[in-house]
Amino acid sequence: MKRAAKPKPDAATRWKTTRRRFLIAAGSLGVLSIGGYFGLEAGRPLLVDRIEGGGAPSSPAPSNPNLWFEIKEGNIIFYAPKFEMGQGIQSALAQIAAEELEVDWQSLELRQPNSQHGFAPSFMFTFGSTSVKDLFKPIREMAASLREMLRTEAALQMGIDASSIDIKNGVCSLKTDSSKTLSYGAVVAAKKGEWVLPKTPPALKAKNQFTTIGKPLSRLDAKSKVTGQAVYSMDAQAKGMLFGAVARAPRFGAKLETARAGQAESQVGVVKVVLDVANNFAGVVAQTRTQARNALKFLELTWTGGTSISQAEIDTLVTAKAGSGVVIRNRGQSNLQGDVVTASYRTPFAAHAHLEPLAALANVKEKSIDVWVGTQAASSDESAIKKAVPGDRSIKIYPMQMGGSFGRKGSQTAAPEAARLSAAVGKPVHVAWTREEEMQQSFYRPPTNTLLQGTLENGTIKAIQQVTASGDILFSVIPIPAFIKNTIGFDFGVLSGQFLPYNIANYQVRNQRVDLPIPTGPWRGVGLMPNVFALECFMDELAVAAKTDPLEFRLKHTNNPRMKAVLEDVRTRSGWATQAPIGSARGVAYCTAVGTYVAMVVEIRLEGKQIIVERVTVSIDTGIVVSPSNAALQAKGSVVMGLSSTLLEKITIENGAVVQTNFKDYPLLTLKATPKTIEVHFMDSSEPPSGMGEPVIGPVPAAVANALFALNGQRLRELPLAL
Amino acid sequence: MNLTINNSSVPIPDEQRLEPLVWVLRDTLGLVGTRYGCGIGVCGACNVLMDGKVVRSCQTMTETAIGKTIITLEGLAVGDELHPVQQAFLENPLQCCWCMTGHIMNAVELLEANKQPSPEQIDDAMNDNYCRCGGYNTIRANVERASEIASLQPASKRLVIRRKT
Repeated sequence: MKRAAKPKPDAATRWKTTRRRFLIAAGSLGVLSIGGYFGLEAGRPLLVDRIEGGGAPSSPAPSNPNLWFEIKEGNIIFYAPKFEMGQGIQSALAQIAAEELEVDWQSLELRQPNSQHGFAPSFMFTFGSTSVKDLFKPIREMAASLREMLRTEAALQMGIDASSIDIKNGVCSLKTDSSKTLSYGAVVAAKKGEWVLPKTPPALKAKNQFTTIGKPLSRLDAKSKVTGQAVYSMDAQAKGMLFGAVARAPRFGAKLETARAGQAESQVGVVKVVLDVANNFAGVVAQTRTQARNALKFLELTWTGGTSISQAEIDTLVTAKAGSGVVIRNRGQSNLQGDVVTASYRTPFAAHAHLEPLAALANVKEKSIDVWVGTQAASSDESAIKKAVPGDRSIKIYPMQMGGSFGRKGSQTAAPEAARLSAAVGKPVHVAWTREEEMQQSFYRPPTNTLLQGTLENGTIKAIQQVTASGDILFSVIPIPAFIKNTIGFDFGVLSGQFLPYNIANYQVRNQRVDLPIPTGPWRGVGLMPNVFALECFMDELAVAAKTDPLEFRLKHTNNPRMKAVLEDVRTRSGWATQAPIGSARGVAYCTAVGTYVAMVVEIRLEGKQIIVERVTVSIDTGIVVSPSNAALQAKGSVVMGLSSTLLEKITIENGAVVQTNFKDYPLLTLKATPKTIEVHFMDSSEPPSGMGEPVIGPVPAAVANALFALNGQRLRELPLAL
Repeated sequence: MNLTINNSSVPIPDEQRLEPLVWVLRDTLGLVGTRYGCGIGVCGACNVLMDGKVVRSCQTMTETAIGKTIITLEGLAVGDELHPVQQAFLENPLQCCWCMTGHIMNAVELLEANKQPSPEQIDDAMNDNYCRCGGYNTIRANVERASEIASLQPASKRLVIRRKT
């Protein structure tokens, strides 16, 4: 197969090729070098745009159909350039593609493109609930262009005018004689001459013309998952594969000082001990995973430096102080006069606790490195691998199915570890982390403390001063020099959910960045859940001070029609106006995130000191809902993960290390503790889709805490909530 | 050393006698439908059926499985015919599905003993496995659905772990 024509930067409108049958198997070409043109090496500017503007796309989506589709006789392969970690993104994007391509969604075969498939490196990221939001229009335009190219070609082959052809279910048929047909596959197979991409994309369908988008379709990967055929990163296998295990520092920041193989080399099954003190690396390769892990214990290692910080010291550092940090919003007069309502809220470190730990298979050869890994950021992995195994090798990443991620696999080291070990033994090596490694050697949702002070006038908010102290979220995973971080003074990741979305004439917000010696980073929603916990509990405290119903109080402070609509909807659906069952009470919370509006009512009761969540009602405006079934799962899953954080989860640090070791001391919410009724309602909307992976987790802890106050007058201001 | 897994006798290298069964299934035999999640028997992702009873394969030494019948996720279907529990999870999938094997195994064990469990019995039987994506209500519904699917099948097939012949 020949190399495809190298596209020009403005290829989207000028692109064409003279290769025959280009739509067949073009995606399997070795090298297409489109990536560099978009010039976005890492996600930083994208993230700033996304967070600040709330709607910038991840990257221009390539409109070259070659990258997205392979049309064969019998099936169409769809290369969805987003990574599957459970969110159903590939199925949802296929639903978008099928709409304008005019094919049955089920006929699309999903295939995960590798890093050399041709998508820009800046495109090989999956983060921040952006996939559907950013690709909704580009995929439809590209699919519509492809459909029209096929129509034109079918007309040519049938010797008629393109306007005489109807297209349905991937078949071109003559309008006047429906027995004369050509399938897409047949059109492509018989192709002569050039394919030319239309200069401008064809007109797209309006919402009321959709036949696939918005239908409650399931997932295209369900069958492979229930039969055990789906291949996750921990499942990756290669002929002659060996297993690696890597030694870990006893405290964060510690460096390897001395390393000797000791008795490790003579343990059963050990193939090689790999020691590299300069690069802070000690690992073992063995015939089996258990042998590799066992041999680790026999390495003779000493460590130096690192932190010995304790949780008490961290709590002191993460303490919001009036007037400290940098001002990131300053509206009206910020000084407070009269009776001031003051409250301070805390959230702890938390683990991602995705059930499939990090895993990667690497095969390092003389000229190439192939890596199969569960990742949210394939191009970051590529840089890490290059650093771990220096030399001039072409690196190909095969992103794998992930057993959950929640931010964790956007910044992971299993791939470079496997590459290092594979380079040392000249064979494929698989590395999978243990749960203990995940619990103790990861990065964590940073601890936060938010100080809020507010005044009221005639039952409405007059002024609010806010200081949010937080460990870093994105500064810790994006390579930015320290002086720039210090100049900017606040971490963009903390911005998610940072501001009260209400009409407040006088509002000052300070962000107090805390640079901790413990690794922190993105966790589902980045700053969203900790921020919304503080802000929405405080709204409740103000409502109490104003002697106003908390839901009414929120409505009173907004004139945003979409925000009002979800609040009113959740009021009706939750039966807010009715008396809660005896012994129960309801709490409300609201947030806007990634363009999505979420209002939630939680009903709880107490069993001794145990909070029992009976019922959760959520009203969501996420624009057009592309995949109602997947969106509902995202929403319900966010509620459950949010409840787990609200009631149970906390990582603590002593002597510079994580105290918790595994699920026995970091338990997750179980089935019995999950409310049987989690009612999710999506507002009917014709607005473009917004994010669905994260927003719904935002209001969960505040809604529960507010319900507790309604129940017994107790105001808990720290997560996890403990009576 | 031979193990009986999904009704086939498979040889296992002797030096793996004392390894946890989960790794022998996954890495040595390529039966990756059995998952690892915690290695301490809490999360349940590694559940397999040993003589019809759910065991945590991360807590099961490989040699203790000698002479027993092991069924993994891959052994539930017969050809293209899914087990009713698999059918229910196919109709109504979880999200990442890494934990799903464990829930499926719990449900198979439950329904073999109790064809029409009450919601309380389902909660009791399904409570000790994690689902980080939060699909617990899907799991509850799927066990009920699996019971219904099984009840519609001919009596001879009902909820027996259908063995390859």
